[in-house]
Amino acid sequence: MKNRTKVHFEKNAGTYVAYVLAFLTIAAFVAFVVLSQTEEFTLSGYKTYQSLIVEGVGNTIYVSLIALLGSLVLGFILYLMSNSNIKYFKALDDVFTEIIYGTPLLVLIIITTFLISPAFVDRINRLWTGIIALIIYMGPYMKNVYKSAFSSISREQYMAMDLFGFTPFQRYRYIIIPQVIRILMPPMMNNFSLIIKGSALLNVLSFNELYYTVVVAQSKTFLFIEGYVLMWILYLIITIPLSQFTKFIERKWSL
Amino acid sequence: MKIELKNLSHTYDVEVLHQLDLVLENYKSVALIGVSGSGKSTLIRIMSGLEQPTDGEVFINDMSVKDKEYRDHVGFVFQSHNLFPHLTLKRNITLVLEKTRGIEKKEAERIAEERLTQLHLEDQMDKLPKNVSGGQAQRASLARALSVNPDIIFLDEPTSSLDPILTHEVLTAVEELKQLGKKFVFVTHVMSFVHDFADYVVYMDDGRIVEQGPPSMLDNPKTDEFKAFMNKVR
Repeated sequence: MKNRTKVHFEKNAGTYVAYVLAFLTIAAFVAFVVLSQTEEFTLSGYKTYQSLIVEGVGNTIYVSLIALLGSLVLGFILYLMSNSNIKYFKALDDVFTEIIYGTPLLVLIIITTFLISPAFVDRINRLWTGIIALIIYMGPYMKNVYKSAFSSISREQYMAMDLFGFTPFQRYRYIIIPQVIRILMPPMMNNFSLIIKGSALLNVLSFNELYYTVVVAQSKTFLFIEGYVLMWILYLIITIPLSQFTKFIERKWSL
Repeated sequence: MKIELKNLSHTYDVEVLHQLDLVLENYKSVALIGVSGSGKSTLIRIMSGLEQPTDGEVFINDMSVKDKEYRDHVGFVFQSHNLFPHLTLKRNITLVLEKTRGIEKKEAERIAEERLTQLHLEDQMDKLPKNVSGGQAQRASLARALSVNPDIIFLDEPTSSLDPILTHEVLTAVEELKQLGKKFVFVTHVMSFVHDFADYVVYMDDGRIVEQGPPSMLDNPKTDEFKAFMNKVR
């Protein structure tokens, strides 16, 4: 038993060292790139714009959260449509999904804001058209998340539910939904990460999100290299903990 | 127990059971054997009320399998355990008892612990199905089937997804239950088990009952089909 523990530890230690080396390799490359263009690298020039950039980070998280909730709702509607017995709904979901899959997010943001919105409102609110574009873009991906979650409940489980005579409410409340949530969580969080990254494109609407605020600050400090590094790091500070947390959930909740 | 099949036929895309007639009385454990596709799994599902026959009647202990209440009298164990994967072995049982039988939580827990202990799972009851072996999971599904106190337990190839050691583990548990007076109808490919455990054997081929009798019939097959089958499984 003791031996096994030791081998296990050594394997972990080796993995750990490998990860540190891999990180250092990338860091060295970035350092080379940065230092070959500037002698003195410091982020202190951005101190003055701290509150602007923090607001940008906050806005990025804020719009991403709303887009996440919205796309969960839209995805569920699309899921219901794709499972519907009414052919029109199935077709509508199919056509919609195909069109969205074929549209770049940037194009969708522009179209939503400058082509579609003006037909409905006089004054365009760019925050909301941006969020709506993100929701529409992510809807079909969220639909797929629901699809795989619901289909992972085996036929045998449904037979067991039949056999013991669970009511439809009990099936969903005690057996189906608790499993679906566990299965749905990791891919949903991956999609959340996609939304956060995609929200950078909202800068084309001059919306104060992370990317945009850093670019604004850059145009005042003229510290371009530092600005690019800063925005890069800020996105990673949001997305990497999220993906690590997703992996943790995946391990913990797997069935 | 009493089993009656009256002119029973069943059709999926094609007819898989052809006008079966059978009356069995006072047997405690009945084995259905035959090659894959012989209709034995369909028959056991119909006898357990999981599927409705397209034609004919089935009565078990004088109760039609079409009756809604019939399902409350049977237990069923599938080829692979079909425990709910997000619930511990114990909760798999208490959920069924509390929600579908209206038994109080404390009493449900007592029954669950008793059944799981009976199947030698007292150390595993708080684990999730994925954290126990296939044999343990299959025994837990047997415990769950037993917990509702069924008149008959149907086993559909309960060991087909298990290796020989785990198979032995599950079959030993089933034998212990028979000692306690439980009644079984089962489908299996393990002929030694049929020999030791069944007190009546039904051999099926191509949706028909070809031979039937006490387990000693395994040693002395009469029809060509049954001879060929016994040569293959031996």
